[in-house]
Formats: sequence, C-alpha cells, structure tokens
Amino acid sequence: MVTDSARAMGLTTALTVAAFVVAGGASAQAANGVPRAPDGHPDLSGTWDNGAGIDFVQPRKDGESICIFGCASGAPPPAAASGAAAPGAPPPPAGPKYRPELAARVADLDARQVQEDPVLRCFAPGVPRIGPPDKIVQRAGEAVFLYEDVSGSFFRLVPTDGRPHPTNNEPSFLGDAVGHWEGDTLVVETKNFNDQTWLTDNGAFHTDDLRVVERLRRTADALEWTATAYDPAVLAEPYAPAKRTAKLTGLEIVESPPCIDRSLANMVDGSHHTNPR
Amino acid sequence: MARTVLPLLSALGALCLIDGNAVAHHSVAGQFDQSQRTEITGVISKVDWINPHVYIQMDVPDEKGAITTWRLESLPTAMLRKAGLTSEMLKGGGQKVTAAVILARNGTPNLGWLLNLTYEDGHEYVLAGE
Repeated sequence: MVTDSARAMGLTTALTVAAFVVAGGASAQAANGVPRAPDGHPDLSGTWDNGAGIDFVQPRKDGESICIFGCASGAPPPAAASGAAAPGAPPPPAGPKYRPELAARVADLDARQVQEDPVLRCFAPGVPRIGPPDKIVQRAGEAVFLYEDVSGSFFRLVPTDGRPHPTNNEPSFLGDAVGHWEGDTLVVETKNFNDQTWLTDNGAFHTDDLRVVERLRRTADALEWTATAYDPAVLAEPYAPAKRTAKLTGLEIVESPPCIDRSLANMVDGSHHTNPR
Repeated sequence: MARTVLPLLSALGALCLIDGNAVAHHSVAGQFDQSQRTEITGVISKVDWINPHVYIQMDVPDEKGAITTWRLESLPTAMLRKAGLTSEMLKGGGQKVTAAVILARNGTPNLGWLLNLTYEDGHEYVLAGE
C-alpha cells in the first residue's frame, strides 16, 4: 500500500527531477557532472571540440594583424613543425594490419595517395576516419551525430530504441548505425558501408563488409571516443584508431564550406604526408 | 608584427601533419616550390571560401596598368576560422595589398601559395610564415 507520505515524497522527487530537467534544458545534472537524459542515460548532447586535427595551430593577434604560422611565439610546436615525435609523446598508433597477401596492394595505394585517397577528392571520409561527432543531439530512442568536415556537412542517425539495422538501404560512405547503451557508454555499431573510403590516409582500403563499433562515454565536459573496425576479409586483425577526447565547447558548428579540390592537377609528385593517426 | 625564425619548410611540414575530421589534404610541397618566392601588389577581387583550401583572386596591375589576375592558394577554412579570419577581412575593403607567395612547381603562371598579406594601412596576415 502506498501511503500519502510516500506519494508526497514521490511527488517531491518528481518535481525535483522536473526542476533539474527544466534548469538543464533537456537533462538533469548528476553528482559527477554528467547530465542525465529523462530516460536516465547520460546525455551526450552538445557541441564537442575534438581539435579537428589542428590543435597545433595557435594563431596570434596583434592589433589588426593576425599570424597563423610563422609567428614569434605562436609557432607550431617543434614536433608538428618537424614531423618528429615530441619527447614523451606516445608513439603514433599503428595503422591497420592487413592479410599478408594484401600488403603490396596497400603499399601501392599508399604510394599513390594523391591519386587514390578519396578524401583528397572531397568524398566523405567514412568511419572511423571521420572521428568523433562534432555535435550530438540526443533524445529518447535516438542520437543524431553531426559533423562539420572538410569534405562537407554530414549526419548519422543512431537509433537506440532496439531496432535492428535497416535492410534495404544502399551501401553508403557512413553506413547504417544502430546504438545501444552498455552502462553509461553509448555503443554504436555501423555497417552497410560502400568500399569507397579508406580507414586511414595510408592506402587503408576496406571491403563493403566493413563493420565498425564506436564507444562514446561522457565525463562532465568531455566526450571520449574509441572505435574498432572489423573487416576480416582484408584485415589481419581488428583496427582501432587512437582514442580521441573532445571537449564541450560553446563554439557552434557551421555549414561546411563546399569542398572543391583545385590543387591535385598541379601536384608534381606524391609528396605523401605522414599523419598522426 | 613579430616574425619568427621558423623556416618556411618547417611551416609547410606542419601543414603536412594536418589531419583529423576537419582537414585532410595533400602536401603543399608537392605543388609549390619554396625556393621560388615573389611578391605581388594589387587588390583582392574575390575570395573562394572553399575546402580543402581557400583560394584568393588578386588583380595585379603592371606599370602600364594592365591587370593580371593571380590565383593564390591558402589554408583550410577551419584554420582561418580558428584565427578569426573571414573572407571580408582577407579582401581588406579593397585596399592595396602586397602578397608574398611561392610559385607553382609545374610552372603554372600566376598561381602561388600565399605566405602573407600586408595591407596598405599596415596590418598584415601571416598565413604560412617565411
């Protein structure tokens, strides 16, 4: 039997939660600083600054003047400038390991990166190469991942209501995702990719059987992202890029400018660059 | 504005490390020759705010006033945005501007990689050092 006092307590609790929800916009604040959605899961909603690979860019302002590279005190760090590893820096993550019979194909694609890398022609980078989402909009049963990418503006729908993968979508650059919660971690499984993206920029091709599992976990003001790519027909073992941590930011994403390559026609050699991922 | 001793080659090397989901592209050194440097003066008539590289169109008059239009390649939009630079700021209100550039390795005329812009009123944008 529910007593009046218990009802009153329940009502008080409900009102308290409601007050938190209203105060937080869409989520309640938990003791550890991680906001909770009304369904109790961590609320991953927010705009997340993952550095976009340009953390080493530290512009300087002097009156009306601006310096991006080559500034007196805002120069790129030596590690970035020279390509050498900084002392104490973790070693760059290993790239995907391929079945031995495919090593020559990967090496050939790598050597011809300028001609072959889909991203250089402004195609969507695929998963996991696209990295953590720049913005997440989460509601009950669904999360929406938004990306402001050099190749364009992209979205991924991540249903979390238990539905299976769709069965009749065309294979695509970013695949079909479904998500579920494992404790406070959002686990996103994506498949139905086309075979037109690379896992990294080093000739790391894949088949259309690629399957990628991403794990996203929020701390108070950061989003931790890991991913593992499975493609046993070509990979000797699953490939996991380096963990990325994005910071909550008030700088909103914007529509990506059009990606129109005008450079490749004037390249006189491959000049492949070494990327940290 | 204070310049640095950071050599251009190092700056270009830094660009070669650009990565992540906002920027990914080819090496600048594959297209431009850092030993072929020049300066041109004119007005910026157009800015193409595109990825992977912003392109600036600069109208450069010769002694007789005949205009040659240069195409100047610059950084990805994400870097310029991070620095607070906009296309309108690059145009400088139509005032005269001097651009330091390095030239295309394949000899394409009037094509350069933009190092810096110095405007008639004295302010400058150092985009790739020198």
